[in-house]
Amino acid sequence: MNHYVRRHMLAQSCFGFSGLAAALSAQQTVAAPPRPELIPTVWDMKPKRPAGEPQARAMISLFMQGGPSHIDLFDPKPELTRLHMQTYGGKIKYDNAGEASSKLFGTPWRFRRYGECGMDLSEPASALGTVADEICMMRSMHTGVNNHGESIKAMNTGRQLPGRPSLGAWLTFGLGSYNPRLPGFMVLIDPSGLPVLGVENWQNGWLPAVYQGTVVRSQEPRILNLDPPPALVGKPQKRLLGYLRELNQDLQQRFPAESDLNARMQSYELAEGMQHAAREALNISEETQATQKRYGLEDDATREYGTRCLIARRLVERGVRFVQLHTGNQQWDHHGGIVKSLPNICRRTIPTAAALVNDLRERGLLDSTIVHWGGEMGRLPVIQNEKNIGRDHNTYGFSQWVAGGGFRGGCIHGATDEIGHHAVEDIVNHYDWHATLLYLLGLAEEQITFTRPGGNSSLIDGQPGKVVSAVLQRPPAIETAES
Amino acid sequence: MAVFPVSHSVNSTMVASLLSVLISLFPAAPLHGQETQVVEQQSATEAPLFFESRVRGILKEHCWHCHGEEADLRGNLDTRLVRQMLTGGDSGAAIEPGNHEESLLYQRMQDGEMPPGDSHLSPAELQAVADWINAGAKTQTTEPESAEPGLLISDADRLHWSFRPIQRPPVPETSDSHQQRGPVDAFIARRLDDAGLSFSPRADRTTLLRRVWLDLAGLPPSPEEIDRFLSDESPEAWNTVIDDLLKSPAYGERWARHWLDIVGYADSDGYTQKDPERPWSWKYRDYIIRSLNADKPLDQFITEQLAGDELLPQPLQNLTTEQADQLIATGFLRMTPDGTGDGAADQPLARNDAISASLRTASESLLGLTVGCAQCHEHRYDPISQEDYYRLRAIMEPAWNTEAWRAPNARLISMWSAETKATADSVKKELAVVTEQRNSELDDLVEQTFERELKKLPEQRHEAAREARRTPAKERTEPQLALIREFPFLNVSRGSVYLYLPDRLRGFNKKWDDLTAEVKAKLPADDYVMCLTEIPGKVPPTHLFARGDHLQPRQQIPPGVPTVLNPDGFEIAPDNPDLPTSGRRLAWAKRLTGGSHPLLARVLVNRIWMHHFGQGLVRTPSDFGLQGDRPSHPELLDWLASELMENGWSLKHIHRLILKSAVWQQQSIRTAEQEQTDPENRLLARMNIRRLEAEVVRDAVLSLSGSLNREMYGKPIPVAPDDVGQIVLGKDNRDSAGRPKGNIGSLGESENRRSIYVQVRRSMPLGVLEPFDLPRMEPSCQRRDSSTTAPQSLLMLNHPFISQQAALLAERLKAHSTEQSEQMQLGWKLVFGRQMTAAEQESANEFLNSPESDESAMTLWCHALLCSSEFLYVL
Repeated sequence: MNHYVRRHMLAQSCFGFSGLAAALSAQQTVAAPPRPELIPTVWDMKPKRPAGEPQARAMISLFMQGGPSHIDLFDPKPELTRLHMQTYGGKIKYDNAGEASSKLFGTPWRFRRYGECGMDLSEPASALGTVADEICMMRSMHTGVNNHGESIKAMNTGRQLPGRPSLGAWLTFGLGSYNPRLPGFMVLIDPSGLPVLGVENWQNGWLPAVYQGTVVRSQEPRILNLDPPPALVGKPQKRLLGYLRELNQDLQQRFPAESDLNARMQSYELAEGMQHAAREALNISEETQATQKRYGLEDDATREYGTRCLIARRLVERGVRFVQLHTGNQQWDHHGGIVKSLPNICRRTIPTAAALVNDLRERGLLDSTIVHWGGEMGRLPVIQNEKNIGRDHNTYGFSQWVAGGGFRGGCIHGATDEIGHHAVEDIVNHYDWHATLLYLLGLAEEQITFTRPGGNSSLIDGQPGKVVSAVLQRPPAIETAES
Repeated sequence: MAVFPVSHSVNSTMVASLLSVLISLFPAAPLHGQETQVVEQQSATEAPLFFESRVRGILKEHCWHCHGEEADLRGNLDTRLVRQMLTGGDSGAAIEPGNHEESLLYQRMQDGEMPPGDSHLSPAELQAVADWINAGAKTQTTEPESAEPGLLISDADRLHWSFRPIQRPPVPETSDSHQQRGPVDAFIARRLDDAGLSFSPRADRTTLLRRVWLDLAGLPPSPEEIDRFLSDESPEAWNTVIDDLLKSPAYGERWARHWLDIVGYADSDGYTQKDPERPWSWKYRDYIIRSLNADKPLDQFITEQLAGDELLPQPLQNLTTEQADQLIATGFLRMTPDGTGDGAADQPLARNDAISASLRTASESLLGLTVGCAQCHEHRYDPISQEDYYRLRAIMEPAWNTEAWRAPNARLISMWSAETKATADSVKKELAVVTEQRNSELDDLVEQTFERELKKLPEQRHEAAREARRTPAKERTEPQLALIREFPFLNVSRGSVYLYLPDRLRGFNKKWDDLTAEVKAKLPADDYVMCLTEIPGKVPPTHLFARGDHLQPRQQIPPGVPTVLNPDGFEIAPDNPDLPTSGRRLAWAKRLTGGSHPLLARVLVNRIWMHHFGQGLVRTPSDFGLQGDRPSHPELLDWLASELMENGWSLKHIHRLILKSAVWQQQSIRTAEQEQTDPENRLLARMNIRRLEAEVVRDAVLSLSGSLNREMYGKPIPVAPDDVGQIVLGKDNRDSAGRPKGNIGSLGESENRRSIYVQVRRSMPLGVLEPFDLPRMEPSCQRRDSSTTAPQSLLMLNHPFISQQAALLAERLKAHSTEQSEQMQLGWKLVFGRQMTAAEQESANEFLNSPESDESAMTLWCHALLCSSEFLYVL
């Protein structure tokens, strides 16, 4: 191992600061004077050519942290309804023993079929009916570890281990991004706070810092460091930059041949340009009233989440590679009071997500953009807490839906057992899900393999991930173990 | 391993380009013995051509592996010695002196037949082989009669400039046309003369003052210091400034940073993502600061760091402050990543990696050699064999000891006295009692809860349920299992009882936590030293690892130094009977600092030069090998090295020599003439403009605003991710699920301490430092990069730290005077270290008093100054 090389690669990785800017990083290096650089390796966000033919070029992940109840939303279980309130004799793994019960609980909501495909959706999920033929419902998701943190890691970093790079970090590491003025991996967080795992949800892990997600906050400054502090927004900063230009030009005149000084001036111009690009991307007032209405911006219940969905579209439109929206801490974790609270969170996140899919389709972006809606788990068919009925964790079988980017619309894939506890048909493990994403994005495993002490690592990391061909419009010619 | 070929190709490209630069720089440079490669290339026709000049290196790279080093000699041809090529192999003599076309060696190479595979000799290399054969195929040194298989290291290799003994060259006589001030200038002047260049004029006094402050203290001079210097017209004024700075504690803080880079200082173990904290690393940082401030002789400084423990009596208890320092110093070998404290790592691999990172850092910092290549195979370029690598490793082996490995925590040595330890033991006993009581009470609660839950079942099933619960899970009968499945809430345990009695448990936990804390408070404060020590009597063997794979140990290797550095047959005793420890590291330290080592002093003075000028006389500070740069001023390098050794290894002596020189005091304006002749400024006809390092930017900003807290030493200021994942100063307040619990609290005044006291978590680089090329210590940083990127500008424009400090600076100016012009002038002097010109005053006036100005105009103005190049660069 030549350690010298490694040091340089890593030294080069430190272009940005941890939140933002890392993400803008190296391509923004302004021509510096020639130096005897030993190793020119630079980790950057420049677009990379994937090894395979990409069907999708961007992804929006609507992450539903906490575990949406699949049996109450997407996976109808008549048998469970029939056995409602009867004791279940089989084995169940509970997270909360104290409130555990073996009584089965049929869904209190009616399911109906939507679209030409006849997609089953319950009342709280019914807004998805407008895109039933665009989406693919995956009903056999499985991570197999009954804990939020571990299961989020499986779904969003590839394995149930701590400290790994997040999905957005992996994908931008492999693919880069199209817009040099915007971060390639952007994260839109919930105003109520962070989901479980907090900032680890968008960490770069041991990938270079440039691949860390850049957070868009709900209050000003929306993007730390990319947005001026409130007191400087607009005129003041313009004045500052004008005077700064003068100062820097004066110095350049005293040291006319010093190209680094010129590069420094350019880097301020570039920084200014990036600020504008970010503000412009976040400025939804440019959208027509019809569009704003479609995303629910006129309705108190949907305005916040709808705004984020709309921004996600604007970011992808401008060449951002990976956008992830997070719900707040455990907003889907319905251990109790599910009958009342499930419809509330559905009202925020389902019609807005449907609007996003429709909008992307109308703008011709859906074909090349993967939209993902789902969390790290589903819920148990038995009651938790008989006094205030809820459902406990279930990572053995749950649902998520995807649309666009090469996924087959109007498709229902896989199945859980008759009460919805275990995935039993066409099981999709987290690594199968990731293998499928890589296939659609054209990425070969070696393109997202990172060398580090103790061995190489990748998103799949040697797990037996298989591309889920049945959910694809154009599956791989021959099914292979992870492209 | 995948990166290995890349490095070599890149390195050779770089060297090629360096060479071409050098050649173009010194078209008529006189021949100096040490510049063999450069010299031979440019004057192939006049200079005698020897095997060692170029061809030996070419054959070493392309041929030796099969035709020499391997025991199974291909075609029976050994290309390592000229005499054996003359004898030849199965196909006859390989060379025909005087006639390259008749030489088999040349023919095969020209046909592309040799070397086999895709790599071929370049036309230049082929030409060099031809030229050498035509010139009679001569050698410069006497070759051995024969050579054993393996990498041949002989006197021929010792011709390389950095392996030759350091000889103090005479100070050159030069013409009076330069404003030289001493020997340093004389060496520089001679090369300038040769190139038809001359020194630039001396920089003005304010520029010099700011330059020397940032150089030695890492801080800008205060307005008072500027005034004092400007008004001191005595010829001693400059010397006084230097002396004062070298006496200032800030000097140690600034220069410690350079050394900490080299050794890979961090407050965390790195290697695994867990990146566990190293709670005692800071003592090593403080040791470095103290040592530099005291101008501890560098030979002693190095010896303590390599073998401080071997200087101490065993057992390592009741140490004096001075003894403790010697122990702390060995942290040098422990600074690099060590993943063996995290069970998630592959332990044997992590151990091997910890040793090799440490060895790499030691060899790069002390020898200026990248021995790491030889961990897996003979070094392809440098005369470092794989055995050489493992000889060095054997020096460290008894301390690391893979046979009885100690994880990082087990390597800590307690500084507690026997009395303190006794106190601690009794408190620990008390704690054990508390824990026992707590568990017993908890068990009662569990039982009560179970009985309560049982009431949910019909009475007649109670006994069966109790029975099922008592039965160990694996022995339960089917009816018992069914019962538990039907009533899952019966599974109450110590771990789950909180789910049944949340309020009660909160109270319970608080009561016992408080009680535990009360007892714990009686524990004496921990006091450990992080160090590398041997356990007396334990001397494990070192094996060569085939292909560097620790799972493939081969022959045993004794401790020793690299062959090429050992013409005198120096040996390290495997176990020195006069010491409780093996004495291996101490023996090596003595060899290095004994005054005749060719590398250590050269490497040290080159680094000192680099930190004063922005680049070293050798621009690859950690590679003095064949792939490294050649010194621009070899005699100066040697003169400084001998000057260091002859002056008690005093670092401050070297500082003075350099800072008092004319070359250091030149202005830094590039001229057309220099650009033409010497665009990279290797000849130093001017000073280099340099961007401030990350830490200096932050420290200087704090200093200008008046908020810098000058408290020295101690535990690091913690860093943690904030609510969007930026790394900020603060206590990590994430809960077990990783969510931040509210805002990260302010750390008060300690937030304003110098950056050297900021915790270095390898996985968490501080947000305000990282964009300015803060190195990641994986494992260390041999030279800082200096990039110009937009994130740096975004940081300066938008980061709250900068705008807050700008506001504080504005307040400072307003507190100084009510007169705006005086405020302006002070601001200018603070940030740029000089007076404003009339034009600058006018333009500042315009900015501050434009119709758009409001009460925040001064803050805005200060902010612009902090963003400006004149602040961010040393001129």
